[in-house]
Amino acid sequence: MESLFLQQTLNGLIVGSVYSLIAIGLTMVFGVMKISNFAHGDYAMVGAYVAVFVLAWIPGWLGWVGSVIAAAAAVGLLGIITERIVFRPLMTRWTDIDTIMVSIGLFILLENLAQLFFGATPRMLEDPFSGRVVDLGVVSTSMLRILCFGFSAVTIVLLQIFLNRTRVGVAIQATSQNRFAAQLMGININFVYTITFAVGAALAGIGGVLYGTLFAVYPLMGAMPTLKAFVVTILGGMGNIRGAIFGGFILGVAEVLGGNYIAMEFKNAIGFFIIILVLLVKPTGLFGQKEGT
Amino acid sequence: MNKYTRKWLFRVLVLAVLALLPQVIQARYFLHLVVMAGIFTILTLSWNLLAGYTGLLNLGHAAFYGIGAYTSSLLAMLLGISPWIGLFAGGLTAAFFGFLLGFPALRLSGPYLAITTIGFAEILRMVAINWVDLTRGSLGLSGIPLLTPIRLGALNIKFYFERDYYYVVLAAVLVTLFCVRRLTQSEFGVSLQALRDDELGAQSVGINTARYKIAVFTISAFFAGFAGALFAHYIRLVSPEMMALHTTFDTLTMAMIGGLGTMAGPILGAVVITFLSEWLRYVEDLFKVDIRLVIYGLMLILTILFMREGIAGLLRELANKLESSRLGRKKESEP
Repeated sequence: MESLFLQQTLNGLIVGSVYSLIAIGLTMVFGVMKISNFAHGDYAMVGAYVAVFVLAWIPGWLGWVGSVIAAAAAVGLLGIITERIVFRPLMTRWTDIDTIMVSIGLFILLENLAQLFFGATPRMLEDPFSGRVVDLGVVSTSMLRILCFGFSAVTIVLLQIFLNRTRVGVAIQATSQNRFAAQLMGININFVYTITFAVGAALAGIGGVLYGTLFAVYPLMGAMPTLKAFVVTILGGMGNIRGAIFGGFILGVAEVLGGNYIAMEFKNAIGFFIIILVLLVKPTGLFGQKEGT
Repeated sequence: MNKYTRKWLFRVLVLAVLALLPQVIQARYFLHLVVMAGIFTILTLSWNLLAGYTGLLNLGHAAFYGIGAYTSSLLAMLLGISPWIGLFAGGLTAAFFGFLLGFPALRLSGPYLAITTIGFAEILRMVAINWVDLTRGSLGLSGIPLLTPIRLGALNIKFYFERDYYYVVLAAVLVTLFCVRRLTQSEFGVSLQALRDDELGAQSVGINTARYKIAVFTISAFFAGFAGALFAHYIRLVSPEMMALHTTFDTLTMAMIGGLGTMAGPILGAVVITFLSEWLRYVEDLFKVDIRLVIYGLMLILTILFMREGIAGLLRELANKLESSRLGRKKESEP
């Protein structure tokens, strides 16, 4: 009984780390640009397909590492392109409804383009460790899952270094706190927008490779990461990166435990139950501060 | 002829054309599409009331549609209640859920409201999938009864063919349109638009925004539920998929392409998308490619970027141009 609980918690943490990774990109973009991007999960989908092709070309763990890097680069580029074409023109309009709806349009477009080009058949990403299981005493898990967790953790740490130790990273944080003050300090705001979108999308791309590894890769897979990333982001307070990291782990563990001890059928709805409860009590999310400008 | 008489003449003309349409074009498939466009019109009008007129982005609208459909179908199948009553029962049940959803909506806006409403719809969809005893799960309900015949003296009106449903749906669309128009042009509607454009400002001039938000959620849900019930007794098949996110996205696409926050928008959007879908399905079969949703995604993006008022806005601009050039010519001809 106790070992089952620990086992489930471990599984939840591993899945949660991927949720965190995808949600960080979403929350960064919201923090800096006030854009709620419903197409964010489709960046993850594109990342997963990049991995499918890289792994077909270079098998084994080398291909796996290569696909994470390739996914980050390709999806980062896609992020820049979509920001320039779709979101930038709306930045002067400032209505939530327009940006959300344009991102829904992008979501519909991307997932159906993927269906058009890649076909509807789900694909699995090859396991470089051929299913090797690691025994950790009370609990056990697969090598692959440990690798997923490791990749999430490393990416999150690297991101923290980028945000806190580089000029661009600090500029991003400054813009997120107060756009106008940042502009007055001589920060090139359009450059910050582009970088934020590129980094946010790249994180989703990496997350997509990991998500595709844990589940499956298919054109319509983007809806789930989008919704989960939003749940995590709201849980952690929109725009709050640290909140998104915690939120991801909370959702991952809550889903696994809720699915196991309450009702398996409602596993994917547990996140929604949580945020409806949280928002009823605290409309800015669990870790949310009062909204600034 | 002044503007007022011209307006009424136009309306009477449109009504006459609509009333005679099934007599002129008797192709059943064409009439089927018109009926579907009518049902979508009601659904889109109700969504537009929230998103277009009040600025409340409800992405769980499909839930109301599904609640209406399930309520009316189950009442007819389990209790033998007449579908005519069911239509209203479906609307009222949906309205009750709309009333409930109005409360969290009081404090939420933008992405928070969007996700909460999606959550609401997803939870209900999962209830519909898992409450197998009542809803038959993901198989859905089939064999839902048709609308029952109406006896008017010696006249016995049966509802069997597309043509019969055409008149029912036409009446429903007209009533909905009338209600929505009255609502949006009344003090209530003006208050909603004030609330959309500046919530604090609206409060400061004494508009009780909380009451208005709950009211508009309730009313909007009623019409969506009504449309769902109508769909159920026409198609005779209801499944949890009705409540899925893509149903809301379809509605949103229709409203946006037709013209968000306009009266004609939802009608134009529903008709254009319904017929375009059929044509694209034909093209898809011809070339063996799935391009329908790719095109809708693209259309949605382009509409928001370049044509914010949709087809309705485009037509209005065209009419204004015609009007001004006509006036210009009149002035020139004057001595």
